[in-house]
Formats: sequence, C-alpha cells, structure tokens
Amino acid sequence: MKKKGGTLKYLRQNYDLYLLLVPALVYVLIFHLLPMFGILIAFKDYNMFQVPGNPFLSILESPWAGFKYFEQVFKRPEFLQAFANTLIISVYKIIFTFPLPIIFAVFLNEVRSTKFQKGLQLIVYLPHFLSWVVIYGIFVSFLGSTGVINSIITGMGLEPVSFLMDSTKFRGILVISDAWKEIGWSSIIYFAAIAGLDQECFEAADVDGATRMQKIWYITVPSLLPTIVLMLIIRIGNIMNAGFDQIFVFYNPTVYDVADIIGTYVYRMGLGKLEFSTGTAVGLFNSVISMILVLSSNFIARKATGKGIW
Amino acid sequence: MAKVKKHKRVTVFDIVNVTVMVLVGLIMLLPILNLVAKAFSSEGNVIAGNVLFWPVEFQTGTIQYVLMTPEFSTSFFVTVTVTIFGTLGAMLLTVMAAYPLSKPHLKGRKFFLYIFVFIMLFSAGMVPNYILFRTLHLTNTIFALIFSGMLSSFNLFLIKNYFETLPEVIEEAARIDGASNMRVFFSVVLPMSLPVLATVTLYYAVGYWSNYFAGVMYITDASLKPLQQYMFDLVTQATSLQDTTGNFSDVSQAMNVSGENIRAATIVVSTIPILCVYPFLQKYFVKGITIGSVKG
Repeated sequence: MKKKGGTLKYLRQNYDLYLLLVPALVYVLIFHLLPMFGILIAFKDYNMFQVPGNPFLSILESPWAGFKYFEQVFKRPEFLQAFANTLIISVYKIIFTFPLPIIFAVFLNEVRSTKFQKGLQLIVYLPHFLSWVVIYGIFVSFLGSTGVINSIITGMGLEPVSFLMDSTKFRGILVISDAWKEIGWSSIIYFAAIAGLDQECFEAADVDGATRMQKIWYITVPSLLPTIVLMLIIRIGNIMNAGFDQIFVFYNPTVYDVADIIGTYVYRMGLGKLEFSTGTAVGLFNSVISMILVLSSNFIARKATGKGIW
Repeated sequence: MAKVKKHKRVTVFDIVNVTVMVLVGLIMLLPILNLVAKAFSSEGNVIAGNVLFWPVEFQTGTIQYVLMTPEFSTSFFVTVTVTIFGTLGAMLLTVMAAYPLSKPHLKGRKFFLYIFVFIMLFSAGMVPNYILFRTLHLTNTIFALIFSGMLSSFNLFLIKNYFETLPEVIEEAARIDGASNMRVFFSVVLPMSLPVLATVTLYYAVGYWSNYFAGVMYITDASLKPLQQYMFDLVTQATSLQDTTGNFSDVSQAMNVSGENIRAATIVVSTIPILCVYPFLQKYFVKGITIGSVKG
C-alpha cells in the first residue's frame, strides 16, 4: 500500500491522461452499460407506456414476471429451431469455409510471380469491403430467375432453380456467399505467417531434393499449425455467431425452417411483433452463452498456443 | 514480404497451380462483372437473361435514372454525413482512450481495460438497445446512425497495442524538455502513429458506410434512411417481399422484376466510393490486421 500523498501527486501529474479517457467512458456508460439495465425487461411484464413518454423508466414500474418468458420461449418450436439452426449453420461454415483461406494462402504463396500474387490479392480482398446488402444484390443477380446460373440451367433444357427460396439449398448458399466474401480476407493472417517462415528450412529441403508438395506438406503446413489452431479455437468460440448481418439480408419466410437463427428470431419477436420481454429473454440467453464460449475459447487458446484475443 | 526465388523451370505444379488461382480470381470477379454488366445493359436484355459479363446494348440511362432518383440521393447524402461525422467521432473517442490505456503506469488501467473487453464480449441485446434509443429520442434522427458502433474495442486495442510498441525514450526526451502528457500525445505520439490511425479510420469509415442494420433498427423516416437500408428495401422487397419491419407484402414482386437493372445500377453506384478508396484500403487494412489483431 502506497502513501496517500503519492497517489495524490500521481493524479495531479496525470489527471490529463484520465481526461482523455472520459469521452470513451461516457460513451460506454450510455450506449453499452445503460442498456444492461434494460435486461430487466426479460423478467418483467413490460409495458412501454407504463411511465408515459419514458420507455426506460417503464421498465422499473412494470410488474415482475419472474422466469415466465424464459419458460414460455424455451417451449416454442420456432425458438428451438432457431437455436439449432444457429449451431448447424455455424458448424457448416467452420467445416467448409475455415480450411479454404489456409489452402488459398499456401498455394498462392507458391506462385512465383509476385505481381500475380499482389494482383490476385487485390481481387480476392475486395468482397470483404462490400456490405451484405451489396453481396446479396450480387448473388440475386447471379442466382435469380434471370441470373447467369439459371440461364445456363434453362439453356440445358432443365427447370430453373430458385436457389434463395429453397430450404434444401439455402444453407449451401449461406456457406458459399460467406466463403466468397471472406476467403481472401481470412487468408491474410496465414500469408503473414508464411512470410515470417525461416527460409533455411526450404533451402535445406531443396538440397535434399524435396518436391514442392513435400515442402508444403512437411514445412509450410506444420509451421502454420499454431496459427491454424489459434484461429480455429477462436472461430469455435464464436459458434453462436452464425452471421446475423448476412442471414438477415438473405433469408425470407420460405426458408425460416433452415435459416432462422437466434439473432433474426430476436429481431422478429422483439421488434417485429413487439414481444419485448420474449425478445430480451432470448437475447440475454444468447449473450450469456456467447460470452461463456468466447471466454472459454480464449482460455483454451492461451493454454494451447500462448496467445489469445486480448 | 515475398521471398526471393531462384529462377527455375516451369513445372506441371506451376501450371496447375496458376490455373487454379486464375479460376479463384474469376470466381471472385465474374459475379461482380455480371452485376456491372446488368447496370449498363438495356432493360429488355436484362429481363430476358441475355446479359453475362459484358453489357448488351450498352446504355448509361439506368445509372442516370438512379442518380436522379430523389430517394437515392437523399440516402446517399445521409450515408455520407453519417460516415464523416461518425468516423470523426469514433476516432476521437478511440484514439484519446487508447493513449492512457497504453501507459503501464496508469492507475486503474486493468479496470478500464476490463470494461472495454466486457463490452466486446457481452451485449445487452437488441431490445434494450432499442428501448434506450427510444427513451433518448434518438430513433428517427441521424444521431441514431452516428452513435451506433461509435466505439469498437477491437479498434481501441489495435491502437493501444501500436502505441505500446513506440519507443518510450522519445516520449521521455520530450518530457525532460518540459512537455506535458497532452503535448507528448499530440506532438510526439500521434505523428508517429499515422499508419495505424489511417487503418482504423478506414475500418470505421467502411463500417459506417456498410452498416444497414442501424437504419433497420432505428429509422423508419424515408428521408433519414442510410444508403444501405434504402438498398436493403430495394433488393429484399423485390426478391422476398420483405420490408425492414419484417412484414411481408406480395404486391411488389411482379412490379419489381422489371426493376432488376435499376437494382443493379443502384448497387454499382453505391459501391463506387468504396472502389475509389479501395487501393488505399487494401494497403492499410492488411497492415492493420497484422499489427495487433492477435495479442501474444
């Protein structure tokens, strides 16, 4: 324990450092911590107009409901479906899109022309900067009834396929569009890791007469392994995030059975149908599980690789 | 970055590899080209599905039509305003907070850091946020769009980590010359941090430009809809008959099929600003992701 005088002196010398923190803390207080108080809505029969003109004070005044809304919603088949969809879509994305950036980075690195590498990177990073609305527009234009793919299909004398309205294909479209948008961007971290590799190993392998594939398999991939493990753990920790921004744009009622995730369900219940308490309850359920998973994955990542997200 | 390679014979591996890579490039480019081609093709050919990757019966009428649509220019202006002021505000909050947090001697540093980690991990959820915005009378104002996502802990840590890599001796030298903390921050630290500042500025700007959901949550007034929300309505109403309130109507489908080239043109025009800054984006974004995204 230091003397009080020391602390005072410290504060007098460094008060300006604390002043710099003030705007961000005020923002966090209003827009992140104040809403936490709104979580009470999940445990109340919330009436927005209990206190006229002040939806926030209405939270305090509304009668308690205990766990009523949780019990109700956990029995609803749509909620259970949305919960299942969240996990299924996430798992699909992990299985199919997680390996692609690694493969892409490894093989693009094998291309000898640096100009070619840079040019292709310029192209594959581009979709990351487009919003999901724009990506959806691109996919509709490509896959829609008058799109290129359907022109080819009808050209072969087959029936046109409605990709975005068909429950059997919709998750596939989600995975493909997600891969299309992010494959380049996700590969950056692997490029950086490859660029940092020790060249001596490769030269030694050359002397021993190793083939390109052997060098990739026995040198590049093993040295990428720590990065891969770290990214995979982080990705699995984010399993509750199935891609809300994407699905909210892409989905429609004909595919709710396969595409409705917790986030979209919360939106439709809480803000679409104005079932505020149900929406808050599901949102809270989601936030708590997500936080536990992310914390655990960060803990595991630190144990396994010595690195973490923070 | 790239390693120096000795000149070697072109092998089968090279040919297959380059071919596959060219295919990857095409998969990324062709859907975009298809949309651009539709924006510049005549309506009849678009509906008939004749347009592939090059305009058929080239025309710029659709683009002009989009530019003159009042709703488009209104929402374009909203998005430009939100992006400029949002990014400015966000940078002020983030950079100012990052500096004290980069000082190991700061008392209470751990506590503040935990706050920023916490808001990254846990969100109160959509409904409480909406109720708060209603209470503060922010719904249907441009401030709802500016205040949504004005502080990203991720960006904060990016800048903080960068500040921590700066050599302490330079700051010490300035302090010995009698400079205050503020003076050191503005005249010494910030000028040395331009790359990371550029990176984060672009992160925020693209975030604001691409955000449609803040509009969906808080804006119903057509004159305040940001560009992405305007396009969201345009694109989803035509395909799935859904509007931003989650309601569905079945009148618009037949009507909107002929609007396909208009939709294409709107998307193309809205993306031009991103394309203009893209070369800079790419350079700085790549830097940003390798500077401090994963901490040891």
